[in-house]
Amino acid sequence: MTKDSLIRTLRDGFGPALTVSEGATPKRLVLDIDRTAFRAAALKLRAAGGRYMVGVGSDERDRRGAFGMIHLFAFDKDGFTVALRTSAPAETPEFDSIAPEIPAAGWTEREYMDLLGFTFKGNPKPKKLILADDWPAGIHPLRKEVPYNLVPPSAEDVAYELDEAPEGTTTVPIGPFHPSLHEPAHFAVYVDGETIKGCDYRGFMTHRGIEKLCQTQVSYNEVPFVAERICGICGSVHAAAYSQSVEEAAGIKIARRAEFIRTIMLEIERLHSHLLWLGVAGHLIGYDTIFMQSWRVREPIMWLSERLTGNRKTYGMIVIGGVRRDITPALREDILGVLKKVETEVGGLKDAVLKDTSIHRRTKGVGFIPREEAEAWSLLGPVARGRGVDIDVRRDHPYAAYDELSFDVPVMDSGDVWGTLVVRLLEIFESIKIVRQALDKMPSDGPLLTEVADVLPAYRHGLSMVEAPRGESVHYLITGPENRPERWRVRAPTYTNLQGVPRMLLDNQLADFPIIVGSIDPCFSCTDRVLVVDGRARSRRVFARSEIEALGRGRRKP
Amino acid sequence: MWLTSKIKQVLLVLKPGKVTLNYPAESRPVPEGFRGQPAWDHTKCIGCGGCANHCPARTILTRDLCPEIRILFYDGARCMYCGRCADVCPEKAIVMSPEFELATGDRDDITQSLELFMLTCQRCGRCYDLEIKNAIDKLDLRGYRYDSLEARTVIRRSTERFAPDVLGETEAYRRPERIGG
Amino acid sequence: MRALTYAAPLINALVFLLAAPLYEGVLRKLAAKIQSRQGPPLIQPYRDLLKLLGKQTLNSAGSWPFKLAPLGAFAAALAVVVLIPFGGRLGVFAGRLDVIVVIYLLTLGGVAVLLGALASRNTFALIGASREMVTMIMVEPVLAVTLILGAVKLRSLGLAAAMPGAAGAKFTLATGLMLAVYLLALQAFVARQPFDIAEAEVELLEGPFIEYSGPNYALFKYAMMLKQMFYAWLFVSVFLPWIRTGIYPADIVLQLAAMLVVFLLIGLVGSTNPRLRIDQAVRYYAVLIVLSLAAVALAVKGW
Repeated sequence: MTKDSLIRTLRDGFGPALTVSEGATPKRLVLDIDRTAFRAAALKLRAAGGRYMVGVGSDERDRRGAFGMIHLFAFDKDGFTVALRTSAPAETPEFDSIAPEIPAAGWTEREYMDLLGFTFKGNPKPKKLILADDWPAGIHPLRKEVPYNLVPPSAEDVAYELDEAPEGTTTVPIGPFHPSLHEPAHFAVYVDGETIKGCDYRGFMTHRGIEKLCQTQVSYNEVPFVAERICGICGSVHAAAYSQSVEEAAGIKIARRAEFIRTIMLEIERLHSHLLWLGVAGHLIGYDTIFMQSWRVREPIMWLSERLTGNRKTYGMIVIGGVRRDITPALREDILGVLKKVETEVGGLKDAVLKDTSIHRRTKGVGFIPREEAEAWSLLGPVARGRGVDIDVRRDHPYAAYDELSFDVPVMDSGDVWGTLVVRLLEIFESIKIVRQALDKMPSDGPLLTEVADVLPAYRHGLSMVEAPRGESVHYLITGPENRPERWRVRAPTYTNLQGVPRMLLDNQLADFPIIVGSIDPCFSCTDRVLVVDGRARSRRVFARSEIEALGRGRRKP
Repeated sequence: MWLTSKIKQVLLVLKPGKVTLNYPAESRPVPEGFRGQPAWDHTKCIGCGGCANHCPARTILTRDLCPEIRILFYDGARCMYCGRCADVCPEKAIVMSPEFELATGDRDDITQSLELFMLTCQRCGRCYDLEIKNAIDKLDLRGYRYDSLEARTVIRRSTERFAPDVLGETEAYRRPERIGG
Repeated sequence: MRALTYAAPLINALVFLLAAPLYEGVLRKLAAKIQSRQGPPLIQPYRDLLKLLGKQTLNSAGSWPFKLAPLGAFAAALAVVVLIPFGGRLGVFAGRLDVIVVIYLLTLGGVAVLLGALASRNTFALIGASREMVTMIMVEPVLAVTLILGAVKLRSLGLAAAMPGAAGAKFTLATGLMLAVYLLALQAFVARQPFDIAEAEVELLEGPFIEYSGPNYALFKYAMMLKQMFYAWLFVSVFLPWIRTGIYPADIVLQLAAMLVVFLLIGLVGSTNPRLRIDQAVRYYAVLIVLSLAAVALAVKGW
């Protein structure tokens, strides 16, 4: 549906309750709506073909005595986004839940129940999502009166209540520490024999309070370095997305050469990330030779990054206004040389992996979701493209220099882990293609860093999406008065993809759990970013610390 | 089919040979421009505090002991090696050294401290840099908050703006207790 | 000569105990070679065992079956290697016992693992145990048939008759079929990829052994290494009986060398295959059982 016809439909439906305004660019549509019609409008946007991205809640009581809530939708075919905004009075921050119809919104709503004390009427699972089990009730950390470094005393007798296990199943606790999860997260998997019949997820154990920190402590220019540390693998993606959102909010146009260098860094990151994933996937199905060989091929890319940016990872390249280091002609030759080597090696790897029947046996038909459900859960990136959903931010909502570059978006219809595997492998070659084109088309000179004004205008909104190796990363930014963001919302792709995992696991074998969870290339730390939380993990049986110590010393509990 | 793919795989993986090094006995050299531990050159430093002002990890602190002596303190334990300090330094007194093997049992090993003698105005007795508006002033950053590096702690219990007794008043929250008494 | 008959079981035990970790080291080194890495030194498994044996014994499940299971597994594995006619020399036991004892002892070792897993009362151990059980039920017949093949030919179940190459002495169709089946089942016998399903590190975290540590775990490990070496020996002894000179020490060295080749094969297959799911493995085992029964039928017919 095009933007105009969408506006027309909505105007007909909601009349004076709705205010339509242009966003920062023509690709951003902003709809302000009354709280009573919020849910209906969101459902209408979804019905019109909008893909639910994420919700943004904000504490604006000091400024206008209200809480703000935004639902973001993307119309990928027509290349624009819609921000559906509403607000609730400070005393009663209540909204109608859209999670029953739009399952991908479930976590957003639960997040703001925890962090801002909102109520979403009709949310199907109003449980704690983000805060630790022993976090005192009534303290909502994203509210402005709560200090960023608050550490409430911990309690030892509070535990997360897992979902009711289906009849006749046993619970297998996978996590918080488990070799198939590379970061802490807890999946309670309900199995009948070896078949998975359900799953409850309790994650967010590595909260670092990044959003709160950046909203209260550091200034605009430092945030890219903090953003880069949201994720160890796709750091540049977050730095780029944050910088773009500030640039959009403040109306900064950066130099074209800087945009090309950003593009190159993002693609180099995708290259190494996909090879990393291939290795991890091999390890998860018990095929360590793929793991080692894929990482061997990846290593020259890491060395290349080291030469380009000064570090293997956390490049520190992207800042507001441009990039920090140039790609000199010598480095250009260096990149081309490494790409050539990597291309041949990945070619061999691809043949070896795709033609191996023993790998087919472990991936085909595993973690199957039909396309319609993948869309309902708003799955992203290779996880969605492996299930026939043809979306890619680089093509649909071009940023940096992607509008000038031509590339294919591989899509597979198999709907299983195999599909995501093939998509990722093919994307490696697309990335190589993009870097080569970008090096060719890059303007030969021009400033790297555009001077940014000392004071950025306050309370402007900026939205930016970047296609991370795992899917679309969304950053939503409201500028603030103190040279720092008033509100900065990060939605990493795993945040959305992880919500679909229980559906992928259903009726699969327990032995396939690692590869199904692994197939979304989960990045739990990306997802867990909001608060300083002492996330001590609990299984259903709760141990006091003294008990664990006693166990550790070999004494039995009385 | 299965067998041929396996044989092909074995041939493929034997080609590159051993690629790992016998680290730490042997190691790869770091490339040019590597961002290792920052190193301060005290002969070049003018004590402007630009590095402290731009450090995302807030791990550099400047403090004036008296009008003539300025302390510049760097705590490597929190450093994230972004190289921002080296970028903003107007005198190029900071270089990112190739040192990266920084694991240590003693925090002081990765801490650097500079005591700078600041030239003062003959008339008023204050430092030039604090008085005159020049390029160095641009290094001051709005909205930047310093951390208490003297305390050298990462997390504090609470702040002056938030009363701790609020915690006690909240519902559904019991104080820590032991299970089974 | 008589003294040697009595000494043979001791020599067996000594050689197996000393060499088993070395073969494990060979497997690790080979995997490293295929994965383009340095890999641990060959003697690393010895160090591992010594380290584990030097640790504190923890009884995390707090029950006696949990404590006894590692001992049981190790004792059973050691008993097997003591009994066998290694190096072509019949020890004092080999003349009096039959293959049923060997099968029994091997099964006992498996049962000890199950016992330990069930006693540790850990979800992962239980799942691992159920997988181990399925594997035992499906793979044991293949082993039994391998041993019985010789017995069928010579009409005797005695160890002396069935084991040292009776099956291969006269190479028949049945022997050929069994050879193939044995090779296909080899990875399952030694619980290596693609059949390390019960231990499955990424999903079950070593399954049955999850609660074990220190000396108890070392015993399990050692038992596994001995078992692994036994299966390599069995292959050499049953299917390659012509590797012998008649001189006892030379035969030992020759058999050890031949076993090294078997281990290289195990390592090669192990590091070029992903782990199978238990349902896929069961279907695979079923085919093997049918094939091995066919081999028996052929042997009975005299082919």
